[in-house]
Amino acid sequence: MEGKTARVFDIGRFRNTDGPGIRTIIFFKGCPLHCLWCSNPFGLSSKRQLVVKFAKCTGCGACEAACAQGVNQVGEKVQVDFSACTLCGACIEGCTAGARMISGREYTAWQLYEEARKDAAFYRKGGGGVTLSGGEALLQYEVAAETLRLCRSNYINTCLETSAFAPWEQLWAVAQYCHTVFVDVKHMDDARHKALTGVGNGLILENIRRLCRALPRRGGRVILRLPLVPGYTDSPENVAATARFAASLEGAPELNLLPYHNLGESKYEMLGDAYPLEEVESRTGRDPRLLELQTLAQEAAPENRVSLGGDAILLD
Amino acid sequence: MATPTAGAALGNELRAGTVAKVGSTKRIQELNGMLHSNRPNVDITRARAYTKVYRETEGMPSLMRRYKASAEVYRTLSDNVYDYEQLVGWPTKRIRGANFAIELHAHWLAEDLPNLRDRTYDPFEITDEDYKELEEDLLPYWKDKTMAVQWGHYVTPEEWDRAQFGGVSDVSNYLCANGSHFIPAWTEVIQHGFVKYYEEAKALLAALDPNDPASIDKRIFYHGILEVLEAIRDWGERLSASCARRAETEKDPQRKQELEKMAEMMKRVPWGPATSFYDACETAWAVCFFLFVEGAGPSITWSRFDQYMYPYYKADMEKGILTPEKAMELIEELYIKVTSNVWFQSTQMAYIFGGYYRYPHLDVGGLDENGKDATNELSYLCLRAMRYVKTTSPAVSIMLHQKTPDALLYEACELAAEGMGHPSFFNCESLYSMLEHRAGGLHGYSNYTRKDILKFGSPIGCVEPGAEGLQYGHTDSGIINVAGCVFAAVTNGKKATGVDGSLCGEVVTYESGAPESFQSFDAFYEAVKGQVKYAIDECHANLLICEKLLAEQFNLPTFTILLDGALERAVDATAGGAKVNIGPTMQMVGFGTLVDSVAAIKKVVFEDHAATLAEVAEACMKNFVGYDALRAKLLAAPKYGNDDDFADDIAADLWKWFADCTMVLKMYRGHYCDAAIQMVQSNVGYGAMTGATPNGRLAGQPISDTMSATQQADTNGPTAAARSYGKLDFPAYTNGTLLNMWISQSELLAQS
Repeated sequence: MEGKTARVFDIGRFRNTDGPGIRTIIFFKGCPLHCLWCSNPFGLSSKRQLVVKFAKCTGCGACEAACAQGVNQVGEKVQVDFSACTLCGACIEGCTAGARMISGREYTAWQLYEEARKDAAFYRKGGGGVTLSGGEALLQYEVAAETLRLCRSNYINTCLETSAFAPWEQLWAVAQYCHTVFVDVKHMDDARHKALTGVGNGLILENIRRLCRALPRRGGRVILRLPLVPGYTDSPENVAATARFAASLEGAPELNLLPYHNLGESKYEMLGDAYPLEEVESRTGRDPRLLELQTLAQEAAPENRVSLGGDAILLD
Repeated sequence: MATPTAGAALGNELRAGTVAKVGSTKRIQELNGMLHSNRPNVDITRARAYTKVYRETEGMPSLMRRYKASAEVYRTLSDNVYDYEQLVGWPTKRIRGANFAIELHAHWLAEDLPNLRDRTYDPFEITDEDYKELEEDLLPYWKDKTMAVQWGHYVTPEEWDRAQFGGVSDVSNYLCANGSHFIPAWTEVIQHGFVKYYEEAKALLAALDPNDPASIDKRIFYHGILEVLEAIRDWGERLSASCARRAETEKDPQRKQELEKMAEMMKRVPWGPATSFYDACETAWAVCFFLFVEGAGPSITWSRFDQYMYPYYKADMEKGILTPEKAMELIEELYIKVTSNVWFQSTQMAYIFGGYYRYPHLDVGGLDENGKDATNELSYLCLRAMRYVKTTSPAVSIMLHQKTPDALLYEACELAAEGMGHPSFFNCESLYSMLEHRAGGLHGYSNYTRKDILKFGSPIGCVEPGAEGLQYGHTDSGIINVAGCVFAAVTNGKKATGVDGSLCGEVVTYESGAPESFQSFDAFYEAVKGQVKYAIDECHANLLICEKLLAEQFNLPTFTILLDGALERAVDATAGGAKVNIGPTMQMVGFGTLVDSVAAIKKVVFEDHAATLAEVAEACMKNFVGYDALRAKLLAAPKYGNDDDFADDIAADLWKWFADCTMVLKMYRGHYCDAAIQMVQSNVGYGAMTGATPNGRLAGQPISDTMSATQQADTNGPTAAARSYGKLDFPAYTNGTLLNMWISQSELLAQS
């Protein structure tokens, strides 16, 4: 553990999602799943990556001159060969438009705690605190666990947003310090799950089952989340099956249905990637189709609270 | 005819007042529509009264002439009464008029009158007859007698130019805004009416001992005060008669009854004691606009309205003659009427303070004299009224403290989420600390007692600490553009070429050293501090002269009447009649630009050695043309407002420096100068006069506003910005601090 660092791609302050109150969200880099709809592609790869905000580029040519690898070719706008980039940073130094950065920075647990405590004064009202997100924080579970331990011992509310795709010991190492753990259930059908995310759901479902037994005993709670991606995860069968799964869990955890949005689309371009789900439309919280699914889920899990939208979860 | 574009259609609707027809009742909607269907216009009633009196009183004592002129203004004010009104009286013949102070404005207006109707900032309508009378009769009499002209006799033409158009150390606001920033003795004037002061002045006059040399000036003083008060009494009777006349011809029986009630009320107030919440609102309105007519400046302040009005509200509710809805309707009418007071400014000042806004102010919440939470039902109604009526004035504010109920804070957040800039949020802890040290110098205390502060302390105008009936002084007087100072520090005292204002390319401050002469950051930093201090000292010298002129010639009887103890002291407000005399004060503009510029030089020049200071100076002089790479480095340096100590430590130190340089300076009336950072919107005008700055900002662009981070430089969100601001010593700015923060509506409502 000594001197161990985690790779983080963003620390967002004054967030009001993924937990109660005003929150600082730490986004860990790297994820074992590759969901087709991922809204935070900076979190997919564990490696550091060049990010180019093409919208800001003025075509001045400074990056082309600065790069020894010939990554940048400037016409009206810049063309970037991301695969040839060695992350030397010369083009960032040279860019006159501030259009470039490297995604991914190393932090020790203590440094992450220091970031989290900066807004401690604002957590007080509304029960705010820190949320570990990603990517998948469990890939770097040692630093994640130590960060939350430090926060917990200094009275900062702690949340984890996770896929639960990790060995139970690693999941529990982090989750044991949490007030709330948000776990995604992407699909109840194992083969479909594998097709959509790259991995099966067996380990995930088993971990959720154990977590629902273990976490409440330590005063924490679990909230299940199902992203409703039109045509992928939002079939009535899948929603009902997810709800039945929630109903079968100890403590009747809340099921939070998340409407799909495509806000992450522009980030793919910044990494030189294409967005896999271009044709899917975003849906807003009051869409009747969403409300119908909420009713369906509630009927399948009468003892569980079924909420719709990331901002509708019950606060502490 | 071509179809009007959406913008033109909206413009027509605005002119017709239809889009502004909002409010909690039909009455308020109609009044609001009426207000907004009028364009800002000039009224020459006051100018005519002043000219008449001054012509008739040649050779009389100066104070006597001023007091007589004020009385003549009240005698000639309009007695218009409009449909739907419940509160009576208008400061001008037309709604949204400016009964402007010719004795302060004539010098520029004599030249600029032809442009007044269509100048870029704050154009004013004026009738052809009034135009002619101004041009041929009134302006020629006053144009060589104004405050600014007289001040010019005491300074060189170069100093005159520099202090008005140079854009670094500026007194132009103080020259044209005498009579401003004031909280009259509301509790007393509402409870007793003006008659109390009349009886008091009569008794004091009768008690004078003619064998005492001090009685000579006092006798003039009391005679003048009595004449002004008689004019106020007569105004009430005139307006009562006007309501009665309207009632006689009114067909609608309900409206007829209202008008009769108004006529009755005007026989009682503001001359006598208020007997109901309705009466009290009338006194609050009349006193407010009397002061806005007599004074030329901004910020006549209702202060703790929910406190001094509450006894009347409570009594009426107990009697069953008032409902919360009726009370809120009256409050909304007050908001509409006070919005009608537009600020008339010189073309030069409109460029800096454009928007007609005259900074009336109303506070809710706070503590009572014993330190208890003072929130009551009116606190909520005052905030809620603004959500319905949506006027720009008054600036509704909440005075926050540890005991503020959550519900009041939520009510305030609901109003904030409307996105109109209301309410302002004040921290009582800082406010009370500022008042404890107000005008007391670097190591001293003010004349306020703890009880004065708790009971009467509140912000004035934008943000300046004051107290009901206890304090007088102009509070946004001297302006220091510190972005101009840092430009001067880099360029050896110069102003940029190709920017607005005069003296472009010339030395506008002093030569603090050529850029290549600075061998260390500390040496350069001393030059920055030197430039700031130089600008403050120069401004102070000019303010002293203004202050002397005001005390000698530009007296304010109505302000004096409404100052606790001033009648007994027989000293005019301008000459030190208040218990606590303050101002003129020193305002900083462009703080974020200053801090970011110094931080960028520290990082790029003295730490990274990526450029020399001479290169930065050259780049700033050339507005970064050909210096894109250097500009990118300067832009990438740490910025104030991101919870980054590299920039925030510089901020904390320069913050203190400005206050320290200011608070050691003694003013004309013997108290000390106060520092402030509160100049709203002026960052645009001063930005236009300022060359490119080392934070990467281009020439002519707005500099940072108030004490906020540079626009778009605070990229870590509102909590990080708040942490940066929290590192500064707010109470050191005894004339107040103002922070503008933008939070998206959804986040605000989600959090509340």
